[in-house]
Amino acid sequence: MNKTENQKAWLFVIPVFILVAFNAAVPLMTVVNYSFQETFGNNVFTWEGTRWFKQILQSDRFHAALGRQFLFTGIILFIQIPLGIFIALTMPKKGIGVSVCLVLMSMPLLIPWNVVGAMWNIFALPEIGFLGHTLNDLGFDYNFTQQIGDAWFTTVLMDVWHWTSLVVLLSYAGLRSIQPAYYQAAEIDGASRWAVFRHIELPKMKKVLTIAILLRFMDSFMIYTEPFVLTGGGPGNATAFLSIDLVKMALGQFDLGPAAAMSLIYFFIVLLVCWVFYNLMMRNEAQS
Amino acid sequence: MIIVPSNKILLLGWESVSESREKGFFDFEFITWMAWTWQTAVFFIFIALCLFLMVIWEKKVPGGSPRRGILGLDTTRGDRLFISLLSAAFIHLAWLGIVGVILWIATIISFLFSIVVFRYF
Repeated sequence: MNKTENQKAWLFVIPVFILVAFNAAVPLMTVVNYSFQETFGNNVFTWEGTRWFKQILQSDRFHAALGRQFLFTGIILFIQIPLGIFIALTMPKKGIGVSVCLVLMSMPLLIPWNVVGAMWNIFALPEIGFLGHTLNDLGFDYNFTQQIGDAWFTTVLMDVWHWTSLVVLLSYAGLRSIQPAYYQAAEIDGASRWAVFRHIELPKMKKVLTIAILLRFMDSFMIYTEPFVLTGGGPGNATAFLSIDLVKMALGQFDLGPAAAMSLIYFFIVLLVCWVFYNLMMRNEAQS
Repeated sequence: MIIVPSNKILLLGWESVSESREKGFFDFEFITWMAWTWQTAVFFIFIALCLFLMVIWEKKVPGGSPRRGILGLDTTRGDRLFISLLSAAFIHLAWLGIVGVILWIATIISFLFSIVVFRYF
């Protein structure tokens, strides 16, 4: 049988191709170009070679920002994933409660990032904020604008509030797709609640949990708006995560060369993590 | 960034003291803000060439020769190119961060590693 060759489809891809060229390829190429040069504006550039890359890779400032970033992402994953699974397990399986829970759960996800930041800023202010004032009244010395621990506590709490529902919704979807036959079999065997979770629910949730971890990792790794509005990276540089530090360097100091080099290193880390998660997901697909 | 026409640059800052800049080969007015250099151009041409060669290879031997490599990963030719390029980036960065001089050794290591990737991964 002869296969007919029809290449017309390529024509329909052209608009997307042009769009991607202008919003991804051209800016990315520009960043690569900037990362090897120095500029003081006016489109005048001088060649610097690999100087910025070396400077960034060996700078304490970058190491600190990267460390803070991994610490933050680690903490929020460590809290949100177990908490999300736990909440999904306790959610009702039928009746009006399902809709109520789902709507309540989706609320934080619908709020824009900068609004979340502003909300939590006011909420946590030590003098007038509900959280800050209450904590101080209870005898805690709480001030997120001046104390590093409090700033971290507030930032993590805000992220947990904003994004745990995503893990809940995904886990809940995974749980709902388990056939009742599995639970019946477990009951006949007299399996404990833990055994049911460990050997039925967790393996069945593996796929959605991989996606949940990937989404939460990427979102928290690239987090900018919420901590920027909440703490502005402070006190000092205590909550200046990678993206905040990057913007400080690029727009605050107008160090376009080092900032471009830093964005590329940042980009490669993100790309590597994406690739690892993609392979994990593909392996899950192949197994099921 | 603010894009200022280059004739205005001559009225601003340091440029006002110098003679008008000699027009280089890559001085296309409308993309001066992209700050092209021949080195980065060569890099992107190399990437484009890689992709072009992959297309030719796919035409000659269709299917991408999928297999399970030594790491237990299911890879096709495209995956192997991606792994090679990404690891080349990390090898260069590691070399710059740790050693810092004679960067072309990192290039050679990357090239050798990509041969290993294409052969065994």
